Amino acid sequence: MQIRFILLSLASVLVLSSCKKDKSSSDDYSSTQILNDFSVNVAQATYNDLASKTEQLHQAITAFTQNQTQANLDNCKSLWRQCRQAWEQSEGFLFGPVATDDIDPRIDTWPVDFNSLDSVLNNQSVYDETYVNSLEDALKGFHPVEYLLWGVDGNKTIVQFTSRQLDYLEALAANLKSLTQQVASSWNTGNYHNEFANAGNGSQVFTTQHAAFMEMVSAMAGICEEVADGKMEDPLVSQNAMLEESPFAKNSIIDFTNNIKSVENVYLGKYITQGQSLERFVRANNLSLDGAIKTKISTAITALGNITVPFGEAIFTQQTQVINAQNAIRDLKNIIENDLANLVSQKIN
Amino acid sequence: MLSESEWNEWLSGGKQTLFDESAGAFSSIFPEISAHNAMIHEIGDKAFEATFVSAPAPLNSGLGPIFNNVSCASCHIADGRGKPPGNSSEPLSAMLIRVSIPGVASNGGPLAVPGFGVQLQQRSINGVVKEADVIINYSEQTFTFPDGETYSLRTPTYQLANSYIPLPAGVMLSPRMAPPVFGLGLLEAVDESEIIKYADENDANGDGISGKPNYVWNVIKGTHTLGRFGWKANNPTVLQQTAGAYNEDMGITSYVFPEESSKGQAQYDNRNDDPEIPDSILRAVSFYVQTLAVPVRRSADDATVLQGKKLFNDAKCGSCHRPAMQTGVRVDFPEVSNQRIFPYTDLLLHDMGEGLADHRPDFDANGSEWRTAPLWGIGLTQKVNGHNFYLHDGRARSLQEAILWHGGEAETAKNAFKNMSKNDRLALIKFLQSL
Repeated sequence: MQIRFILLSLASVLVLSSCKKDKSSSDDYSSTQILNDFSVNVAQATYNDLASKTEQLHQAITAFTQNQTQANLDNCKSLWRQCRQAWEQSEGFLFGPVATDDIDPRIDTWPVDFNSLDSVLNNQSVYDETYVNSLEDALKGFHPVEYLLWGVDGNKTIVQFTSRQLDYLEALAANLKSLTQQVASSWNTGNYHNEFANAGNGSQVFTTQHAAFMEMVSAMAGICEEVADGKMEDPLVSQNAMLEESPFAKNSIIDFTNNIKSVENVYLGKYITQGQSLERFVRANNLSLDGAIKTKISTAITALGNITVPFGEAIFTQQTQVINAQNAIRDLKNIIENDLANLVSQKIN
Repeated sequence: MLSESEWNEWLSGGKQTLFDESAGAFSSIFPEISAHNAMIHEIGDKAFEATFVSAPAPLNSGLGPIFNNVSCASCHIADGRGKPPGNSSEPLSAMLIRVSIPGVASNGGPLAVPGFGVQLQQRSINGVVKEADVIINYSEQTFTFPDGETYSLRTPTYQLANSYIPLPAGVMLSPRMAPPVFGLGLLEAVDESEIIKYADENDANGDGISGKPNYVWNVIKGTHTLGRFGWKANNPTVLQQTAGAYNEDMGITSYVFPEESSKGQAQYDNRNDDPEIPDSILRAVSFYVQTLAVPVRRSADDATVLQGKKLFNDAKCGSCHRPAMQTGVRVDFPEVSNQRIFPYTDLLLHDMGEGLADHRPDFDANGSEWRTAPLWGIGLTQKVNGHNFYLHDGRARSLQEAILWHGGEAETAKNAFKNMSKNDRLALIKFLQSL
């Protein structure tokens, strides 16, 4: 993920006035509380949900391996989508251990290595944890599981599952569960919560609260850029459906939407429960900016909803809707990396 | 208020300094870049992150058959510095092992190990045997500062196991961590004469420092030119470094290195798909790396940082870690032209002593010589990469350990550090963290 924008430096910008257009009536906030609540209500809540869903996915796949019924397969697919939703909703804060501990590539690499997958399915290896850990990223995580459940055209039937495929699916689901538990722990009880929540107060990673706030802001802008200028742009300009990331389950538009929801979650400080957040901070300082951000979030989500065919088709047949959605997401990115970033730099040390 | 010259020191990358201290601090495009070049940077960025898979494949085809890792980004995580395996059962990820046998190749470089080449590939695609496993062991030793405080250093040893064919005698191994990839376009733009000006191979001026240039084989020019990239300065250009990494680290051929590294070995794929990436993609990736901005310094005017800076100068660290350089005038690449940059390196080879020696010559670099590593951005390593491992093999677990490993030409400076009071040592470290 790459971020291309310029943040105004603290040293060189002398801000003489801030846009104090209206303040919210509940206009007090604590920057320390915002950081703590982000960790608890967004990061931990999202990752814990993800870990719990992957546990359920593992159980569902185990049940399917024992009894290949349509109901069991449908349950696996439904849980895959639920896991995917939680994961995509974590991509609005793709910093910390998920990145530095190399977890993201092991969960979400694209493309799938079809040759190697065939080779693995045809070999005699036992699919234990050690074996799966030794495999390349393109053989594990969400997309190989997606491919094995749906098949290349998305219409794999229950009789088409070989016993090796079932064994491998079970091993991949166990691995996915293990990786998501790892990232959840790193925020729950590992050091990262402390590093983030104690920004500017003893944290080794974040020597100022400003740095921690900007980490959130950068991540929000970053996922907007990745969706609009990467996940959507590359297949569109190349006119190549092969570049689409969740083609087997035809889940790409849902993925993009969940990415924008992730931005919203970070902004509101809420996955399930809401705490103090950037929203509260913005409302305390510039109510109209809060309105503008929320409008842009909802415009982006609506625009994505206007793409009514799977993304692999939309790049050919609904190009206008695709481009409108990209532009709406770019608008959202702009207000985050300019207005929101500026306000943070003015108010948070 | 800062004076003109003091202010500039904050801008480690000149006009291409980025005011970003987040985890993306190494991953941003030059702030001043033409729209066209920004587009090329974007293309290169996508390609840098592409995950390769075994051929034939509709997307990113051609991984291996033998390789170290599957994408540029998997070793150069967040365009930053790799870390060594956490324990002996963890596989190598952001580290590779260069190999050679005694002697010199026809191009003056390391002599390939028959059946293995000049780099070990410890992974392979399914159905193909990898070259060998790597076993790393550490031995820990405790030392004492003159003021009584103790410190501990760990010495790694490397062995190859389970090689697919027997290894010949006398194989030399040199571990190499993935270094950060930002700022390279600026380093490349420094004129050769500017670098050579500070070379003093025979220590004519008697100051104990003998920086030496490494003249290495330039594949495009078909002759030897000044090397400046890599831990032993064994690559002359970013393009050749990039192409070499594609080829050896991932098994991806390009117009610069169109033959698989496995050619002549049992793992060779015998496929007619070379080059596996288009010329323009290779150039775009090279350009992407060249146009990654340098992060601004942090807290450069803090009193302790300034104290540390004075100590850095007093200890003569700057004899090799030269604070400033000027990039040459480049009409063809105005983004890097004529900038005052602060990389804290002279880009020359120095004898670092027996403790750090890999005993593996690399062109003009002998078995004890290493290129002065750039220090810009080093204070963001924990933030960007989540770790604090330094030096060519990641043996140092902190900046302090990295300093204490300095030997050879740097022995005097290292001793100056050891003799400092604890307060002073911490101040010097704080200065380094501001870079």
